[in-house]
Amino acid sequence: MASWIIAAVIVGALVIAIGINLRRRRDTVASFQRQIDALSPEARRGVTKRIRELDPDDDAPDHPGGGVEEASEDDQHGS
Amino acid sequence: MARDLAIDLGTANTLVYMKGRGIVLNEPTVIALNRQTGEVLATGREAWQMIGRTPGYIVAVRPLRGGAITDFEITERMIRLLLQRVGVSRFTRPKVVICVPSAITEVERRAVTDAARRAGAADANLIEQPMAAAIGADLPIDEPVGNMVIDIGGGTSETAVISLGGIVALEAVRVGSFDIDSAIQSHIRREHGIAIGDQTAEKIKLAIGSADVTEDEVPAEVRGRDLTSGLPKTVELTPEEIRAAIEDPVSSIITSVTRCLSKAPPELSQDFLVRGMYLVGGGGLLRGLASRIERETQVPVRMSRVPLEAVVLGAGHVIEHYDDLKGMFMGARR
Repeated sequence: MASWIIAAVIVGALVIAIGINLRRRRDTVASFQRQIDALSPEARRGVTKRIRELDPDDDAPDHPGGGVEEASEDDQHGS
Repeated sequence: MARDLAIDLGTANTLVYMKGRGIVLNEPTVIALNRQTGEVLATGREAWQMIGRTPGYIVAVRPLRGGAITDFEITERMIRLLLQRVGVSRFTRPKVVICVPSAITEVERRAVTDAARRAGAADANLIEQPMAAAIGADLPIDEPVGNMVIDIGGGTSETAVISLGGIVALEAVRVGSFDIDSAIQSHIRREHGIAIGDQTAEKIKLAIGSADVTEDEVPAEVRGRDLTSGLPKTVELTPEEIRAAIEDPVSSIITSVTRCLSKAPPELSQDFLVRGMYLVGGGGLLRGLASRIERETQVPVRMSRVPLEAVVLGAGHVIEHYDDLKGMFMGARR
């Protein structure tokens, strides 16, 4: 009788462990996907909007290297 | 209810982004203290104006050097004052994301998070500056393509290759625009025998400093204190001599960019030739630096549209999508 109980406990523990492992694996995939989605252009619209607010004169995605010369002479360089 | 915050705690400037509002504070990372009582007299722009101009009992200091906290207690007080200024009180404890150089040690990491928690943050997490910069520069880091970002700050320069939301290759050196200012100060002291302050050195860099030959180069006059007579003295400086004076820090930065390029996997390397590398950070505004990096690496260099704000905007995006992006915090992936 005792051996049956021990076997049942072991089987139960194994089932729970496998279940947790599977769920964690599924969670990892889901959380990676959520992270990638949160970095997508649609999710980054807020960033794009704020860049436009800070640099309203330019609609281009970026300046070529020569843009350095046009940079404003802020007194506090470095960040 | 406290609004969560993203902080770019830079060696030169501190920027704060408030969730739902955008950038709410952008000031130099400087604090002025009464040397005798230890009381804070000013922070930010007001304290920055005091550097080198204070009476004996006042000291205006930058509590960060090379992106690391040099004075824990002062940094904590500065963070507390910053949080107070953006409306954080004892009863409103926000979640805070702080951008730090990727090369900081475990001890430095703990120092920053402890300082933020003691200053009133409910939870403090760190994110690498190049990663935040890539998000803030609006690079497509969600795609399986090579995105390269060069972040040149006041105390550190970091180059990272980012793909699929993660850092693939990284190079960091504790050299930044303050080292360029120091090189100018040393050169003028050595070659012209006059002493100049930090702010004058920065003005010289902005006026005639360059990493490469540029058009319309004109000499500039600088006033300082003659080291022999102690009297004020004016000397003329040429852009060529300043370029030579700052060659050491500039070449250290370029060498680290080259090292990062050589670490990148070949599949991503070919993307850089088409997409280019993105320059962010105040140090990236040095005249001729983009063209010099481009010439030495044979890879196009593009300037971010918001070089000074890219890092905090990126961290701001993380705070806006906190639950989805918490896997990007330092330590979360390891």
